[in-house]
Amino acid sequence: MPMTLTQTVVMALIQIVVLLAVIMAVVPIITFAERKVIGYVQVRLGATRIAGGHVGITGPINRAMWALGRVPVFSILRGLPIFMADGLKLLTKEDVIPEKADKLVFILAPAICMVPAFAVFAAITFFPGAEGLFTFPASFPIVGGLKFMGFLTDINVGLLYILGVASVGVYGIVLGGWASNSKYPLLGGLRSAAQIVSYEVPLSMSLLVPVLLVGSLSFRELSVKLATEMPLVAAVPLFLGFFFYLTCGFAETNRVPFDLAEAETELVSGFHTEYTGMKMGFFFLAEYANMIVVSAIAAAFFLGGHYLLPFGLQSQLIHALGAGHALNQPSILFFVGKVGFLLFVFLWIRATLPRYRYDQLMHVGWKFLIPVTLVNLFIAAAIKFVWM
Amino acid sequence: MNWLKAFNPSDIAGGMKLTGKRFRQVLFTANRRKVPMHFVAEYPEVKVKLAPRYRGRLTMIKDEQGEIKCVCCLACEKICPTQVITIIKGKKEGRKMPFPTRYDFEMERCIFCEFCVESCGFDSIILNHQFELATYNREDFSLGMEGSENMFENSAVGKFSVAE
Amino acid sequence: MENLLISLAQNLFPIFGLLAVGGAALMVASRQAVHSVLGFLFAMLCVAGCFLTLEAEFLGIAQLLVYAGGIVVLFLFVVMLVELTKYKEKDIFQKQTKVALLAVAGGLLVVGGALRNALFGPAAKEALTLRPEITNGAVLGNAQAVSRGLFADFLLPFEILSIILLVALVGAVVLAKTERV
Ligand code: SF4
Ligand code: SF4
Repeated sequence: MPMTLTQTVVMALIQIVVLLAVIMAVVPIITFAERKVIGYVQVRLGATRIAGGHVGITGPINRAMWALGRVPVFSILRGLPIFMADGLKLLTKEDVIPEKADKLVFILAPAICMVPAFAVFAAITFFPGAEGLFTFPASFPIVGGLKFMGFLTDINVGLLYILGVASVGVYGIVLGGWASNSKYPLLGGLRSAAQIVSYEVPLSMSLLVPVLLVGSLSFRELSVKLATEMPLVAAVPLFLGFFFYLTCGFAETNRVPFDLAEAETELVSGFHTEYTGMKMGFFFLAEYANMIVVSAIAAAFFLGGHYLLPFGLQSQLIHALGAGHALNQPSILFFVGKVGFLLFVFLWIRATLPRYRYDQLMHVGWKFLIPVTLVNLFIAAAIKFVWM
Repeated sequence: MNWLKAFNPSDIAGGMKLTGKRFRQVLFTANRRKVPMHFVAEYPEVKVKLAPRYRGRLTMIKDEQGEIKCVCCLACEKICPTQVITIIKGKKEGRKMPFPTRYDFEMERCIFCEFCVESCGFDSIILNHQFELATYNREDFSLGMEGSENMFENSAVGKFSVAE
Repeated sequence: MENLLISLAQNLFPIFGLLAVGGAALMVASRQAVHSVLGFLFAMLCVAGCFLTLEAEFLGIAQLLVYAGGIVVLFLFVVMLVELTKYKEKDIFQKQTKVALLAVAGGLLVVGGALRNALFGPAAKEALTLRPEITNGAVLGNAQAVSRGLFADFLLPFEILSIILLVALVGAVVLAKTERV
């Protein structure tokens, strides 16, 4: 059944709202998980309560949490309300604009940072199946009888779209640093821009391996074919490429150990030193949304996406068991699980590795990652030439 | 190529293994063992177990008969680097040794160095294990031998503590 | 509703085009250099939008990736670090209006003539259609068509162009090196 333009637009709007709601719910949970994971890694407990002890307004909540701590499985959930407290704090803080700041750019910068971070989700495929996630019942006004697909769009240059839109996000950081009219933010912004621009090269190069193996740029096609139609040897470049991509992804999202843009010991807190309240919250939202995007790309291209086995090994399983077997069915749970694990890796690395020096970062980007990703690309090309 | 050493994969993997182990241990044992894996106490519900050498507030000791052990040698008053101990020597019936009629201690300037305890040849003062020493009033820091704020028991400073 | 949306969809190209012109005007009119770069960025994004409305996804995204993601960042770097507050520098950059107007008029004549030839001249049909018979029906999408054109049909001009870029690169390195010696 062909959709009318109205149906298409309304459907897209519904999908966008659902997607945004999910992201907005997931980002605070990641910040909470970050406190907990780093706490546990450092043999602490992390956040266990909000605002004081067992008396006062928050007393009942804190007493409930204290009781929760006695239950083994739920013990990690202690302190969960803290993400609401965080959001409330960001929303209600005074919004300071420095007197000598460039007001227009200062206000625009967080938005420039956040819009691309959310726009890239449009090209990410959460579930590749043509049957969609569910179908609207016929009684719905405009979209009755239509399928709710697991992706927003499936343009045939999806991957390029993600890279291109994400590269606009760097303006937010540079302009935010510049508009603050202060030394440390400017230095932080420049550092971060140089870092992001240089790591875009190896990042794209490591993403070229899947593109070369499949011969397409559509996110959906890539994620399906990488899992199901790969020869056994293709696992080698995919395995190597996964680690290269993850390294570049850390640098692209300005996360520890590559968070030179906000190195507290040197730059106070980098490009968002002068930002307060929800403006700073926007920078944070963008950073965490970028983390989700990097994890989703890594999960879809290198870890087998919506299928069980990573690195294209699923195709061997399909050969062995036949395509109809239960283990060979795609599921959104696999994808969500992989993205969750990669997000955990982000936090795990943050709790483990110290920050690298700036020259080390640049050396590794230009002198190590670019050559090895090129070699990896050659391996992939040879495999494509010989085996496929 | 020195910069490449910082990115040695086996080093990074080793670090990740260690932190992963710590994470696993704390995750599966949080609040479930007699001796918990984690190093922090959930103050104020659970008080931390202090080491015996912990230096808390200055306290005077009485012997078995309930007599104050201090003999007013003034060694502690002299050695105190911040001069917060003031002793007035006096006499008491049925006691050969001198007896302190006043023993004033201004805790707001005490630095908990334990010099006074070390210098005391009669073991008549110690630093106890009380660590909740904050208070809303400056007067609460002036401790003496009489009154509710005395030198023999845990003082009422830190009385805002939720633990009680 | 439906008709409104359809007319909107059909007029997306002029909308994006006008927005791009607006961004360009902002870039020229702004007194603050960084605001100019912002206008430039906006114009680039709108040009990418124009490409998208013409169903040239690959070109649109490439525009985004190369211009918005790479070149304007470099512009921004230069503009941010060069402070145009001293009068001497302002003289250099802002008192050349007459010369600039003349140059623009000359450029317009040349470009307009070329455009007129390309659009309405005898070669117009030939040059502006991507010839399907070149690709032997192997073209699936936009990216394939462009890469086919670049790497199969027009390989030699493409490589010559890249040599020009290489020359520029080497020249830049030489210039930068000699200053430091
Ligand atoms: S602990 Fe140190 S500062 Fe405090 S009373 Fe004793 S000697 Fe004085
Ligand atoms: S040193 Fe001991 S015995 Fe001497 S005055 Fe001080 S507390 Fe009393």
